[in-house]
Amino acid sequence: MPDEDLTIRELHERLREAEETIRAIHLGEADAVVVEGSRGPQVYTLQGADHMYRALLENMREGTVSLDTEGLILYTNPMFAAMVEVPASEVTGSDFQKYLAPASVSSFAALMEAAAARGHTSGELNLRVPQEGRIPVRLSLTQVDCAEMRCVSVLVSDLREQIRNEAILREEQLSRLILNQAGEAVVVIDPEGTILRRSESARMLAGASVMLDHFDRVFPLIASGISLTAREILLRTRNGKPLRGLEAHMAHPDGRVSALLVSASPLWSNPRELLGCVITLTDITELKRARDELMRQSQELAQSNNDLRQFAYSASHDLREPLRQLAVFSELIQKRFGSALGPDGGELIQHAVDGAHRLEKLLQDLLAYIQAADAPQEVPATADANEVVRKVLATFHVETSRMGARIESGPLPVLGVHEVHLVQLFQNLIGNALKYHGENEPEIRIGAEPGQGLWKLWVEDNGIGISPDYQKQIFGLFQRLHGGNKYSGSGIGLAICQKIVQRYGCKIWVESQAGLGSKFFFTLPGAET
Amino acid sequence: MEHGSKALTLLLVEDSAADVYLVREALRWEGLVVELQVAEDGEAATQILDRAESEPPDLALVDLNIPRKTGIEVLEQIRRSPRCKAIPVIVISSSDSAADRQRAFAAGAVEYFHKPSTLDEFLSLGRLVRALCPEDPRERSQQRVTQQSRGSDDNG
Repeated sequence: MPDEDLTIRELHERLREAEETIRAIHLGEADAVVVEGSRGPQVYTLQGADHMYRALLENMREGTVSLDTEGLILYTNPMFAAMVEVPASEVTGSDFQKYLAPASVSSFAALMEAAAARGHTSGELNLRVPQEGRIPVRLSLTQVDCAEMRCVSVLVSDLREQIRNEAILREEQLSRLILNQAGEAVVVIDPEGTILRRSESARMLAGASVMLDHFDRVFPLIASGISLTAREILLRTRNGKPLRGLEAHMAHPDGRVSALLVSASPLWSNPRELLGCVITLTDITELKRARDELMRQSQELAQSNNDLRQFAYSASHDLREPLRQLAVFSELIQKRFGSALGPDGGELIQHAVDGAHRLEKLLQDLLAYIQAADAPQEVPATADANEVVRKVLATFHVETSRMGARIESGPLPVLGVHEVHLVQLFQNLIGNALKYHGENEPEIRIGAEPGQGLWKLWVEDNGIGISPDYQKQIFGLFQRLHGGNKYSGSGIGLAICQKIVQRYGCKIWVESQAGLGSKFFFTLPGAET
Repeated sequence: MEHGSKALTLLLVEDSAADVYLVREALRWEGLVVELQVAEDGEAATQILDRAESEPPDLALVDLNIPRKTGIEVLEQIRRSPRCKAIPVIVISSSDSAADRQRAFAAGAVEYFHKPSTLDEFLSLGRLVRALCPEDPRERSQQRVTQQSRGSDDNG
């Protein structure tokens, strides 16, 4: 009975298939059963076997997706859908790359390759999301063979919180480091004045560990004779008046006293609640000591300068009196007894008179030198240099005519100096140019040019010049390069010039070669317009 | 040289003997016949001025820098004295500072003579005295009337 055999074989086959299906269902190898019925094939999902796993996936706090090898999403759990802010039904069937930040696409491709090669891999990259822009995530990829299909299951862990925590930790470490490295003593107090934080410098200033002590006990500050308490500082800062560099001092138990600058700002929380106050104590003990010392020295110096000037003034003034009498009486002897003295006696008396007059001139110049430093500076002054040069040249009229001097003066500025000073400058410089002329008739050129904030003026001559060796020394007091007979002078003129320009914070110098004339330069401020 | 019937009376307040000599020399050189009363300090000047109430000098020369009083104080004393307030006063000084000149004129000096260091200049003091104090007694009284009226103007 071939037909019967066939039927029995067929039934055996079906039985084997049924047994296989039941075994698969039992082992969880089948998710659904397709049954051919009168309405065609129908899929029956088998809930029982994988219900537990499914529930786990659906409810876990991390995202998970299954991808095919091309990266197409076969399955997403609700968490991943929530992370990318797209409904799960839309996520399924879409390309995973769609949810990656552009810069992460290539990294993901590499991860897929690694998963394909090694079965498992992981890496960090960014998801692209509508609201935040991107979410840093860690992806763990595992290659899974599912029935006849190879797919990749991906666990997506949100790293935002972890990164936030790490950042907070780093900031906290940085804050501690800054606080400890701060050169100034920084103290944080709560609204009751208890010390919550302090820098290393604050600990050193206090001389002890001061955490949780009361500020007033650790830092007994006195400002303008009154205690500067934590309460006072808090009150002031709370009222929107932060302290900035208030000078105070603090007595240490060992008797030392520190001078401090106190600054303080309130510490507000968010929302606005006063957490306390940050107080900075800058130790200026050394600075103050140095400043006081400097001030003392400067006062001493001023006093000593003043004494010296007074002495020089009195000395030169008082010396003039007997000198004047010496000169006049010498002349009187000459006048009264000239004929009785004879020619020799007359000459001797003349030497005495000349000497007295030279000394008189010297003292006069010395007084002028002292007064050059004394003349009032506070009065705003201006002087037209053209006018001054004209006046000074008029006083030299006799000499210039006698010598046949040629004098050119370019256009000169109006300067912000006292006229008397400018007169003295030109008088000395033009006087020298005339005095130290060489064989030729004197040629003098006076000029000026604007410089950086200052004018540069000059008096140039064709005289005997000055060897470079002596160019600095000529500005010293009583410095003369020539014997008394050839060129008269007290050696004070250029010292006066230097003193005057220095009063205005300016300079005077000379460019010259012996025998080739001299060019004296000086700077002075222009008149304020 | 024609002299008046009576010598000029001059008060010189000066502590330096050398300068007293030079003043005398200047007056002599100018040919003035002078009865010179010398006060070497401020106190002496006061005594002379007190005595002078009956017969005041024709002119006073006052050095600024004298012991026991300043020349300015002596000058002020002269200006306060009812009998002497009109006499011309020449301040003589070794200082040529503008401040000293100003002080002297403010206190009532009619001239300020800076003691010079050449003889010729010093001798010019004689001319100054002659100009302020003519020798002719009639001119003298005339000048005194003028001075007095000027003095009372100042006080008013």
